[in-house]
Amino acid sequence: MDEGVLRVMEKPNEKQILLFYCMESEDLARKVAEQSPLIQLQSINWRSFDDGFPNLFINNAQYIRGQHVAFLASFSSPAVIFEQLSVIFALPRLFVASFTLVLPFFPTGSFERMEEEGDVATAFTMARILSNIPISRGGPTSLVIYDIHALQERFYFSDHVLPLFETGIPLLKQRLHQLPDADNVVVAFPDDGAWKRFHKQLDHFPMVVCAKVREGDKRIVRLKEGNPAGSHVVIVDDLVQSGGTLIECQKVLAAHGASKVSAYVTHSVFPKRSWERFIHKNDGSEKAFTYFWTTDSCPLTVKAIGNRAPFEILSLAGSIADALQI
Amino acid sequence: MSPAPPLHCSFSAPIQTLKPSLTLALIPFSKKDKFRFRCELTSFGNPQKWAVEFDSTTIPNHRPVLMASTAALTSSPRNAKKVCLFYCAETKALAERIAAESDAIELRSITWRTFEDGFPNLFISNAQGIRGQHVAFLASFSSPGVIFEQLSVIYALPKLFISSFTLVLPFFPTGTSERMEEEGDIATAFTLARILSNIPISRGGPTSLVTFDIHALQERFYFGDNILPCFDSGIPLLKARLQQLPDSDNISIAFPDDGAWKRFHKQLQHFPMIVCAKVREGNQRIVRIKEGDPKGRHVVIVDDLVQSGGTLIECQKVLASHGAAKISAYVTHGIFPNRSWQRFGEDKGGCPANGLTYFWITDSCPLTVKEVKNKPPFEVLSLASSIAATLQI
Repeated sequence: MDEGVLRVMEKPNEKQILLFYCMESEDLARKVAEQSPLIQLQSINWRSFDDGFPNLFINNAQYIRGQHVAFLASFSSPAVIFEQLSVIFALPRLFVASFTLVLPFFPTGSFERMEEEGDVATAFTMARILSNIPISRGGPTSLVIYDIHALQERFYFSDHVLPLFETGIPLLKQRLHQLPDADNVVVAFPDDGAWKRFHKQLDHFPMVVCAKVREGDKRIVRLKEGNPAGSHVVIVDDLVQSGGTLIECQKVLAAHGASKVSAYVTHSVFPKRSWERFIHKNDGSEKAFTYFWTTDSCPLTVKAIGNRAPFEILSLAGSIADALQI
Repeated sequence: MSPAPPLHCSFSAPIQTLKPSLTLALIPFSKKDKFRFRCELTSFGNPQKWAVEFDSTTIPNHRPVLMASTAALTSSPRNAKKVCLFYCAETKALAERIAAESDAIELRSITWRTFEDGFPNLFISNAQGIRGQHVAFLASFSSPGVIFEQLSVIYALPKLFISSFTLVLPFFPTGTSERMEEEGDIATAFTLARILSNIPISRGGPTSLVTFDIHALQERFYFGDNILPCFDSGIPLLKARLQQLPDSDNISIAFPDDGAWKRFHKQLQHFPMIVCAKVREGNQRIVRIKEGDPKGRHVVIVDDLVQSGGTLIECQKVLASHGAAKISAYVTHGIFPNRSWQRFGEDKGGCPANGLTYFWITDSCPLTVKEVKNKPPFEVLSLASSIAATLQI
C-alpha cells in the first residue's frame, strides 16, 4: 500500500503530538503528557539577554519535522507575552505537520467594554496577534481556549486561525456527581451573562439567577429567579478577579436560606492574591464557601493557592489531551 | 518669475536614509520648456552630502509637481503637514521636544492605566478629533513588558479614520543579539517585525515605520508589504556636533568592527578612518587595529549601539596604546543594561586609556537618557529635529 493510503487509515485519536510549553505551564504540561503515551514533552531554552529581551532556543528543532506540534501557553501578564509569541511564531515554520496553540485562559477579555470611541480593545489586539500566527503544512493553527469571556470574541479571530472553544463545565459536572448531596445541588449564576454562557450545559440542575440592581447610589446583588432554600447552591461563572461578585452572591443566597454555598470558576485570575479572602480560617468563623472549584488554567494562581480549603483544583489536562487529538 | 539657468539635477541620498520616501519639489516655470526646472530642495539634516541632479530627458510631458517634504518647515509653512503626535510614558520628554520643533506637530494624550490583573486599560482622548488627521505614535520598546500596551494603541489608531499613520520607533530592539546559527534559534527580531507588519492600514495606506540605525541592515527585509519602513540615522547629529569641536580638524573615526564600518563609513567619508577587529589569539579574542593610525588624533569610536560597553572599552584601550591623544565615542542607542554606563569615566585631560572625552548618545533609549543626563562624559544628541522632519514625509 502506498503512504497516502496508510495515512488516511491512521485511526482517529492516535496522533502523536509533541508538546512544548512555557515555564509557567510546566506542571499542566506534564499532566497533559501523562494522559496519553501519544503526547511527548519537548523542551525550549528560555533565557534572556542582558537587555531583557528573550534569548530562545528550540531544542531538537529538526526532530519535529513532519510531526504534530502543540504549544501550551499562559499569558498571565503582558510581560510574558513576547517571549511566548516568539516561539509560537517560529514553531509552525519548522516543517511541522500541524500546529496547535493551547491557551487555556484568554486574558484581556474580561474588562473590555467599547463604550465610546477612544476605548482601546486589548482583547482585539490579542486576537489580532494570534490571528497572525504563520500557517504550517497542516494549514491554519488550531487555537484552543477555555470559556472565553465574551462569546462575541470568537469573531475577533481571522480566518488564519481555527479557534476551538472548549469549556471546563464537564469537569464541574463530574465533580458534582461525586458529592454525597449531589441530588440537592442548585446552580446559581451571578448575572445574566453567566446564565447565557452556561445554562445549556447545566440545564438538568435547578437554577437560580442573580442580578445587580441599582438602589440609589449603590449596586446591590439580588435574587432574580429561582429558590435556593435548603439546597447546596453552586455559583458558576467563567472567571473570578477580586471575588467581590461571588461574595455578594453568597450573602444573598445564604440570606435566602441556602444550606451550603460553593463556587466554580474556570479561570482563577485573583489579582493581588485576592483568593486569600476565601480561605477557611481555623478560628471557628463561619465558612462562607464549602467548596471553591477552579481549573489550572491560571498556573501562577493555582500554585499560590496550593491545597488550601475550600479550593479544589480540577485539572484541564484530560480535556486538553483530548482536544489535541482533534 | 525670472528664468533660471537650466539645472542639472540628480538625487543621491546617504546610505539607507529616506530613499524611498523623500521627494523633490519640481516647479516648472514654462509649459514649453520642459528641460528647465527650478529645484526647490531644502536639506534634510546635515546638507553636506546632498547634491541635486535631474535627468531632464526622462521627464514625461506632463510635469509632475511633487510636494517637498523637508526639514525647513519654518521656511515653507504652507507645505507643513499637521501631525497629531501620541506617545507613551517613556517617550514623553522626546515627544515634547519634537512638538517644540514645529507648529505643525501637536501633542495628543492617551490615558494609560492598568486593570487589577495587570492588563492595560487604555483610552485615546478625543478620538473623534483625530479623524482626517495625520497621526503618529512615538513608541519605545525598552523591555518586553511594555510592548503589549503600546501595541494595543498602535493597532487601534489607524482604524479611527485618520488620514495616515506613522509609527516612530527610534530604537528597534531584539536585533542585536540575533544570530540564526542553527535550526532552533529563534529570531525575536523577526517576531517583532512580524507584529509590526500587521499594523492595520489606514486611509493613508500602509503605516510608515521610522527607526534609526537598525542593527542589521538585512532586518529591513523582515517587514511585510503593509508597512513602509523608513530607515533613518543619527550620524548627521554626530557630524554636526563634531564640527562644533575646537579640534574638529583633528578628528579620526574608529569602527570597532567591520559591521560598524559597513553601516557607517559612507556617511563619514571625509574623516580619516581606523578600523578595529577582534582577532583570535589562542583561546582569547583580542581587539586589534586592522587599518588606520590614531596617533595624536582625537579618535571618535562610532557604532550603532552599546550594551555592556565591553567592545568600546577594548577599542579604547587599543587606540590609547597606539597613541590616540583623545578618545570619544558615539552610539545612536545607549542600551546600557544593568547600568553598564557606569563603566565610562571622563578623561579630563591626557589620559585617554582611562576615560573618554565625550560619549555621545541619542535620546532613542529614554530610560538611559534619564540616568546619564548631565553626567560627563555623556552628552545626549536629540533626535527631535530629525523626527520632526521625517514626520513631514
